[in-house]
Amino acid sequence: MSGKKEKQMLEIKGLHASVEGTEILKGLDLEVGAGEVHAIMGPNGSGKSTLANVLAGREEYQVDSGTVKYNGLDLLELAADERACEGIFMAFQYPVSIPGISNAYFLRTALNALRRYRDESEIDAVDFLELVRSRMELVGMDQKLLQRAVNDGFSGGEKKRNEILQMAVLDPKLSILDETDSGLDIDALRVVAAGVNALRTEDRSFIIVTHYQRLLDHIVPDRVHVLSGGRIVRSGGKDLALELEKEGYSWLEADDAKAGSGA
Amino acid sequence: MATDAIDAWTDPVSTHSQGFQDEVLALKQRRADAVDKFAQVGFPGRKHEEWRYTPLKSIASGPCSALLERSGSLLDRELLPVDAERVARIVIDNGEYRDDLSDLSAVSDHVQVQSLASMRREHPEQLSEHLARSFPADDHPFHCLSDALLDDGVFIGVAPMSDVDGEVAAIHIIHYLDGSKGPGSAHTTGLLHIAKGARIRLIEEIHCQGEVLGNIRWGVDLAEGSDVHRIRAFRSGCASIFHGSRVIQQQDSRFEDVFTCAGADLVRNEIHVLHEGSGCHAELLGAYVACGSEHIDNHTTLDHLVEDCTSREVYRGVLSGRSRGVFSGMIHVHEGAQRTDAVQSNDTILLSGAAEADSRPRLEIYADDVKCTHGATVGELDEDALFYLRSRGISLGQARRMLVRAFISEILVATGSEVLSDFIIEELQQAIDVAEEASS
Repeated sequence: MSGKKEKQMLEIKGLHASVEGTEILKGLDLEVGAGEVHAIMGPNGSGKSTLANVLAGREEYQVDSGTVKYNGLDLLELAADERACEGIFMAFQYPVSIPGISNAYFLRTALNALRRYRDESEIDAVDFLELVRSRMELVGMDQKLLQRAVNDGFSGGEKKRNEILQMAVLDPKLSILDETDSGLDIDALRVVAAGVNALRTEDRSFIIVTHYQRLLDHIVPDRVHVLSGGRIVRSGGKDLALELEKEGYSWLEADDAKAGSGA
Repeated sequence: MATDAIDAWTDPVSTHSQGFQDEVLALKQRRADAVDKFAQVGFPGRKHEEWRYTPLKSIASGPCSALLERSGSLLDRELLPVDAERVARIVIDNGEYRDDLSDLSAVSDHVQVQSLASMRREHPEQLSEHLARSFPADDHPFHCLSDALLDDGVFIGVAPMSDVDGEVAAIHIIHYLDGSKGPGSAHTTGLLHIAKGARIRLIEEIHCQGEVLGNIRWGVDLAEGSDVHRIRAFRSGCASIFHGSRVIQQQDSRFEDVFTCAGADLVRNEIHVLHEGSGCHAELLGAYVACGSEHIDNHTTLDHLVEDCTSREVYRGVLSGRSRGVFSGMIHVHEGAQRTDAVQSNDTILLSGAAEADSRPRLEIYADDVKCTHGATVGELDEDALFYLRSRGISLGQARRMLVRAFISEILVATGSEVLSDFIIEELQQAIDVAEEASS
């Protein structure tokens, strides 16, 4: 699959963003075509999670300059809930637990919010249960977790599966997985990957943010980007991930040093 | 407190108290002592440690010092949905036990219900003994008023085997405080005596109209192995309410109280639990909402007198406008009360910058092998949780409602009835919605 021929879903140009006054993203460019899977790799602190959170619309992340176009919309103009309604989904690195709200109620409220946004009628309880059950099977999740409070007392693996479940139920166009692989054992990793792969279609795109290559053994990306110092410093095909696995990120530091002395 | 404020109450109290002439000596003495004590102490000001956070000025100035008369017709209010339960009904109208409106057919003979007025006439010595045990003389202004003006209320005695077909006997108590004919107060004493191994479920609700002061106190006596599950709902639009309970627990008994308040001008919610026998548990829960300039003050005292008792207190408040919520919780572990396990927490969500929460956990521990923990949190809604909900397409307004509801509903689960819990949550939520709308 080649990005150029596809319709662009996401176009990020010259994105600068900061958190609490510290600039993290320093001129990031990225294009993601419809139906593509892009992996964003890079060392800790390179800005991977910042990118994910900026796209999801977290208010603590300040966009200083640059543009983000998503399906022709100015994404930065939209509030977090509007972005979700437009089809953006972020699987959280650290999903929050919300005692007192059941997983089922949460999912149904979210799904109905999206449906209302699209001027569709709310889903009835029976159809909803059927949908959720089939999606739970897809991500290998215990049905009991549906009646439990959102992520409350969930293990690390259960929380990540719950993120993938939400993705599968809400059916987004652009999914951003923020280090979904961190803290997962190999079985859970396979389940997450199978969930993503099952959802891969021509009109759904994915941005997989990860520190390690191992998730990419199971979700084969169309493009791999290396993020360092708040910019994408290298892009390539799926083999780039393997290369990074072998070489680590130390070469980046050397490049940075060069760039620093050159500036 | 200024002298004129005391005068606003002392004369009416003294006059009213003289309306009870042919009483047995013990009751007469109790009444006279209370009148004298109240004349001395009146309503304490902010300098009094126990009343520092409860503004009694508006009460002390006297608008409600007259006694409320029986109302012409009952307030037309929607009651708590308890129909699903086999439940007896007791109506207390402006302090008067209404035989004609109460319905005790749902409870079996194991449950004895009598108005306090008739008990005063028929069994004054017995009443006097109960009062002496449940309410030892002190300088508590509302207890003094209750004693000085002791007139009516209810005695509930529950004998063992009160479970019919495994069902716990339930009593629904409705207080109406109707000041439409003019401001006034009603002083009601309830006595609840649970015999060995007996169980009861009480659902108490309070409705107000106009400028009123409700002074309600309960003496609760739990014999060995008995169990009381009490739900209290201060329904929306309450005026000034003092509600105090003194709960004495014998061995292996269990007392659970779920307090809810959907808004009131001023509430002082007081519970004093004494664990006199080992193996007792007390569970004190509260969920309250305050708006505008409302004030809700929760004041609990846990006296762990003997070993192997547990207590758990969780109070949760949602405050908006310029309202104020107070939690003052004393845990007193006496000498010898080893292996006491007492947990206390008070969490408050502030929906406005002008609302205020005061949390004062107090521990006095005189035993060495105990577990006592207390925690208090005050804050706005959790930003991370809000973002999480919004990132799934849920609007900010709805996300806020969901989080507030979740916060409250964790307490209401303890009502043991989904219908009841949903109803109360909805009422609390509505109070918040109205306040939020007014401020936005």
